[in-house]
Amino acid sequence: MSVRNNLGREDNLSMGGEEKELIYLYCVTDKAPKLKEVENFADKLYFIYRQGIYAVVSKVKENEFSEENLKRNLANLDWIKEKANIHEKIIEGVMKYTRVIPFKFGTIFNTEDNLRVMLGEHSEKFKVNLTNLEGKEEWGVKIYCDMERLKGSTIKEEDEILKIDKEINSSSSGKAYFLKKKKEELIKDVLNKTINEYGQKSFETLKGLSIEARINKLLPKEVTERKDDMILNSAFLIDKNKVTEFIQATDDLKTKYNNKGLNFDCTGPWPPYNFCQFAKEKMQNG
Amino acid sequence: MDNVVTKSKDVTLLEILDRVLDKGVVVSGDIVISVADVDLIYLGLKVLVSSVETMERLRGAPMSGAMEEPT
Repeated sequence: MSVRNNLGREDNLSMGGEEKELIYLYCVTDKAPKLKEVENFADKLYFIYRQGIYAVVSKVKENEFSEENLKRNLANLDWIKEKANIHEKIIEGVMKYTRVIPFKFGTIFNTEDNLRVMLGEHSEKFKVNLTNLEGKEEWGVKIYCDMERLKGSTIKEEDEILKIDKEINSSSSGKAYFLKKKKEELIKDVLNKTINEYGQKSFETLKGLSIEARINKLLPKEVTERKDDMILNSAFLIDKNKVTEFIQATDDLKTKYNNKGLNFDCTGPWPPYNFCQFAKEKMQNG
Repeated sequence: MDNVVTKSKDVTLLEILDRVLDKGVVVSGDIVISVADVDLIYLGLKVLVSSVETMERLRGAPMSGAMEEPT
């Protein structure tokens, strides 16, 4: 047999070959998942059942997903994009027909038995969480700000800045230098204050239409691939019946703040990544 | 409602790093991606990991009303 260890481009869902295989966990649900309906991946997926919980899994190759290989592959952005998309699409496919708890990318078990042990340990928590998610959707709202536009529309209205401008014009060059420094600081403060105010108000409005809301870390331009700055990263759990109202509210905010340089990015429905109740809890085995 | 993204497209790098690799349930699988592993991706993007925290700090006090992350 040919050795295929060094081929990084193997399909991670393929089940053939002599490679040792690992079990990749995508999500759990409390109703039998309709795996045949999951586009493109139906034949690779199967579920493992334990105590009322179905875990949606596929086999993956050790040469890609063993601890060491996974770490190596995480340095490869194309690989991450491809595999994270598979992860997401599979969960979305299952989510079409049943509520799910999504797992973090790269949750892997050496054997089905190990996975069964985990399911047994946490089945009650999963059931409670799934029941809480019934009839709800996760939506994300990210707000961006074109700082130059905000500056243009904001500092005109600030008395203190207008005052300092007058002073600069009537000062010696030495004094003007320090006043300009002072003005820059002032502008920065005003912009920060304004951004916080707009962000806070928008968040409160959207929070009022949601069941749960959370604020996440801001991400830099290298990640957002946008020219404007992210000023709010938020996620909401919304009653399905309120989604239209929520989207309308986001649109209204967009209109309201458009001339201030703010832009709203509303996406969903997502698997409830932000609303699995023990998302960040440490659950170490002995 | 032109700002609503339908979810049939590929997931963006942003959402991969914000959701797929950062959130979701973390259990003690035999292999789990750690925070340090994800930091390596940021390094690959030439993002100083500390710059994310710096951005937060520059913006001043964190907004109130957010759900606290359990620690």
